[in-house]
Amino acid sequence: MRVAGVGVLTGWGDGVDALPADAGAAAAGRRIVPLPAPALPGERFRRATRECLLGVAAASAALRDAGLDREAVRGERTALVYVTAAAYGASNRRFIEAEAGGALHFPYTAPSAVPAEVTIDLGLTGRYVILIGGAVATLDALWQAGRLLEEDACERALVLAVETFDECADLHARARWLAPRPLVEAAACAVLVRGGRGLAVSPAGAASSLEAMVRRRAGETLACAPLIGLALARRTGDHVVSLTGEWRGRRARGVVDGAVEDVGARRVAAPQ
Amino acid sequence: MAAGVVTPIGADLDAFWSGLVTGSDGTSPIERFPVADLRVQRAGEIKKVRVPRGARADGCRASLLLAAAADDLLAHAALDAPPERRAIVVGTALGGVEELERALERGGARRAGAALYDSPARSVARRLGVRGPVLTVSTACASGATALGVAADLLRDDRADVVVAGGYDVLCRFVMRVFDALRSLTRDRVRPFDRRRTGLLLGEAAALVLMARDRDAPASRLGRLLGHASASDGSHIAAPDPDGRGLEAAARAALRQADVAAGDVDLVSAHGTGTPLNDRIETAVIKRVLGPRATAIPVNSIKGGLGHTMGAAATLEAIMCLLASRHGLVPQTLGFEERDPECDLDYVPLAPRALRPRVSLSTSAGFGGCNAALVLEGGGA
Repeated sequence: MRVAGVGVLTGWGDGVDALPADAGAAAAGRRIVPLPAPALPGERFRRATRECLLGVAAASAALRDAGLDREAVRGERTALVYVTAAAYGASNRRFIEAEAGGALHFPYTAPSAVPAEVTIDLGLTGRYVILIGGAVATLDALWQAGRLLEEDACERALVLAVETFDECADLHARARWLAPRPLVEAAACAVLVRGGRGLAVSPAGAASSLEAMVRRRAGETLACAPLIGLALARRTGDHVVSLTGEWRGRRARGVVDGAVEDVGARRVAAPQ
Repeated sequence: MAAGVVTPIGADLDAFWSGLVTGSDGTSPIERFPVADLRVQRAGEIKKVRVPRGARADGCRASLLLAAAADDLLAHAALDAPPERRAIVVGTALGGVEELERALERGGARRAGAALYDSPARSVARRLGVRGPVLTVSTACASGATALGVAADLLRDDRADVVVAGGYDVLCRFVMRVFDALRSLTRDRVRPFDRRRTGLLLGEAAALVLMARDRDAPASRLGRLLGHASASDGSHIAAPDPDGRGLEAAARAALRQADVAAGDVDLVSAHGTGTPLNDRIETAVIKRVLGPRATAIPVNSIKGGLGHTMGAAATLEAIMCLLASRHGLVPQTLGFEERDPECDLDYVPLAPRALRPRVSLSTSAGFGGCNAALVLEGGGA
């Protein structure tokens, strides 16, 4: 499969150009680097949660990066694979704590709310998979997307990840063994098309240099990390991308062969 | 495939099947948490969960149910592969959300971690010594079908030699409040496809199947997964697409993958929630997918006795299809008594039907426009 475009939003700003050289230093002691909800036009988004809005914005950014307009992806030939470790926490908590006003929140309590908003916004009616977990689940999401492309179940696949932490900051502080700090809120989406080989996922012993770079520059973005890695790889022109990820003591590796296209014009110097 | 379950109508596979064909109603007043402020206080609650060896009675209920289903599975089959070649794929609509309720109420670092939706899958993976892929799928109430599809993909891509796959969900105050707010719960009994249907009741369960490639499967297997597919509605955040386009796309794609013609389908296991909208839409979809033969094919729903077990539902329904083939008996649609002009298929009323379906189509749908379909072939008697 080939990567036709990647959209990245993080607490540091839009795109990988906004990433600092050292997220730990840039966080300046903050445990969480929040990402504000994007202002999206339309009455339909009036009740949508921040994580839903971030998902929609990341998908739109990915389409822009791929040079695709919205009409091109509408319909059943575009698949969507969504992954998150924790982005449902905010809406779950809001619903639990809003005893009286719960009716307003109920549609957004399911993890499927985020990809649902994306499918509605873009008119996607193709294959649809939702995985829960951190970076390892994202490697599985990329593998699923590759399979769907290989089987001709779709012409293109969007792999979308969203992570928000702010509303559950106290819970993340309690469960701080789960992930290093700073936790950086993010939404990322890759547009994948046929070409090259699919993603072969296998257990991994150590972090790849790309994973280390993503962690150093972006901070801990859980499920978004491999997609941010793809975006960085596009900038550095790597055609064979070794993605690794870790989540709750499990580590996996996926090699994307021929993953990157048209990277020559995108090469930029990495920040020092 | 082999299977293991824990349900409101039976604590293991044999009791589940017996409950289905005898028409057991597993719904009852909820006892485990307060519901006095809710409109509907009834559900398919499992009153007594056997605490599996090594598990804590006061631990995460979702993990307890999964462990109980895993123990039942292991009573029927062995995990005949080294730990690194074993995988787990479980579907859930709610994960360990009850642990989030408890974490917010009582605090504690352990509960905060357990509140993550993938915690129960990790727990059962440890129990089964799985060191290969561990995936949690959350396509709402279609999760139990999506999980079986992803498991089949793991086997096809040689990422594992055996996969334990299925679904689970537990009743808790959170989910009762969600569906209460949605006004989709009935004060009557669940009546799938019946003219008088007024909504669903929830239930809790865990259901797991052991999947292996054909060449590695024992001769006594329960059956085969021939095809699977998913599709999104792209229509509404909570309500199903009024034309059922996503469900139709999933069913057609699953049949295509299975290389099964509509005319070869012997049984449809419907999502059949008992809500006015779902059953009408689903009937129309089945008619479009199966064509003129649709009225001749039995269509059943097992939610009348179990309630809607959310993440477990589709896996239980897949298991039901395979057991129907094994026993030559299709369970009735409990609660279906009066015909609805808009639901005009053969819903297997009143009593089990003597029939040995070879090929079954199972359909599922959930919040967020999630749809999934499975095509299964029974292993026979």
